[in-house]
Amino acid sequence: MTDATIGSRTRRPEVSILGQIVRSRLGKAILALLLPLGVLVLWQASGTNGAVAGGALPTPDRVWKAWLVWAFGKPGPMTLSPYVGSWADAIYFSAGRVAKGFGLAVLVGVPLGIMIGWSRLAASVVDPTIQWLRPVPITAWLPISIAIFGISDFGAVFLITIGAFYPIVINTTQGARDVDKNWIRAALMMGASQWDVLRRVVLPAALPSIFTGLRIGLGIGWTAVIVSEMVAVKSGLGYVLWDAYYVGRMDIVIADMVSIGLFGFLSDWAIVRLEHWVLKWRRLQNFNQ
Amino acid sequence: MGTISLRSVSKVYGGAREVVALDQVDFDVAEGEFVALLGPSGCGKSTLLNLVAGFETLTDGTLTFDNAPVTRPGPDRGVVFQEASLLPWLSVWENVVFGPKVQKLARSDYEPRAREILRVVGLEAFHEALPVQLSGGMRQRVGIARALVMEPRALLMDEPFGALDAQTRLSMQALLLDVWQTLKTTVLFVTHDIDEAILLADRICVMTARPGRITRTIPITLNRPRSIDDLTSAEFNRFKAMIMAEMRGGHH
Repeated sequence: MTDATIGSRTRRPEVSILGQIVRSRLGKAILALLLPLGVLVLWQASGTNGAVAGGALPTPDRVWKAWLVWAFGKPGPMTLSPYVGSWADAIYFSAGRVAKGFGLAVLVGVPLGIMIGWSRLAASVVDPTIQWLRPVPITAWLPISIAIFGISDFGAVFLITIGAFYPIVINTTQGARDVDKNWIRAALMMGASQWDVLRRVVLPAALPSIFTGLRIGLGIGWTAVIVSEMVAVKSGLGYVLWDAYYVGRMDIVIADMVSIGLFGFLSDWAIVRLEHWVLKWRRLQNFNQ
Repeated sequence: MGTISLRSVSKVYGGAREVVALDQVDFDVAEGEFVALLGPSGCGKSTLLNLVAGFETLTDGTLTFDNAPVTRPGPDRGVVFQEASLLPWLSVWENVVFGPKVQKLARSDYEPRAREILRVVGLEAFHEALPVQLSGGMRQRVGIARALVMEPRALLMDEPFGALDAQTRLSMQALLLDVWQTLKTTVLFVTHDIDEAILLADRICVMTARPGRITRTIPITLNRPRSIDDLTSAEFNRFKAMIMAEMRGGHH
């Protein structure tokens, strides 16, 4: 009878093994790697002599070897290939342009968005123009950019700024418009000036929307840097991408694509970490509701 | 200090259909007086408070605070909002010192006062907490503290305990009685709760809707100091019966 009693005792519902894996941190990392690893294995297996599809694409092992040389190779006096030890330079140029262009877009977009969201006058004067210019894609700005800035660093920075500006200004405007009316009234009641209200109430209240704009803007910034480097500058990941294609170095093309993805991901992660830290009050709010 | 005066004040909201929120209202609050505006929702009692606060502009008439026309909100009239409306990204302490800080007062002037007020409202252990980590009643204590720290000449309270549960509301009413009985600042208190109005006020102005008017003023002569024990006294119930009759009459 004792056995029966033990057996019939109600147990806590057990989480299945699969459920436990999905919940653990390590399990999540393993699950996330399944798909890309599967693709890599299939890709590698479908090639012969280091090539897939009759030589059009290199296999992953050849891409890896090409990247090692591109990243860590020491160019000798007789080295003709530009893809020896120049990876860090390419990253430095591209990331630097994204940082400058994105920074400029933030400096212009956030204050302008706050003004449009706060003042009906600013909205009437500036907002329509922004809405008319917004449908023009960054690629269409290329000729003008080259005409004005020539083949120069600032041409690329200009395109990134344009691309990142719209999502930043639009999301900031939205955030500044949706501020709780009573927060503003409370601040005015406590003796705040218009400037205090903008800086101490509207800006912090708009921050969740601003961060949404920053993430979208940064993503567009990486698109813009690649496009502009393909056409308007002679350095960076975008330049290497197009140049390597011309000389038939598809291994470098793929290594380049992976690098863009990696740095795009890392910069987005940095913004998310910053958001996490700045918007602690917001996280607690969502948790408590 | 802290006198409020309205002379034939009207407030009309424009739009497709005009709404007369206040119609030719004459109304006075004397220095140190606690006046409750009592009425159903939509009777214009919050509109009247918003006009005194300077949040809205009047359509017609004159409105003065200490004999000067009201043109904008300011720290001389501390407002306590229905949902506290604290700034959610600031801690309790930062919310309370927001006013003195933007007024650029000296730290040595306001910090001891802010600490003392937070002690009085029972939040001395919660300086660093964010509003979202507090209960509704505690949030409203911060709302009262941030108004009091400015040493306003009048307190304007817009259904400050309307969103709280019955028990919390009682403790908040007790707190307000204690605080007011020491400070004796002018209070304009908007509510739809008859018990609350009788317990707290020196005088109740009963309002009716469409158009918003003050139909009757009832002095509450219950002895001071009061406490929540007064809620069950015979005299309290006499006032309650009178006001309920008044409000029922107002609907016909």
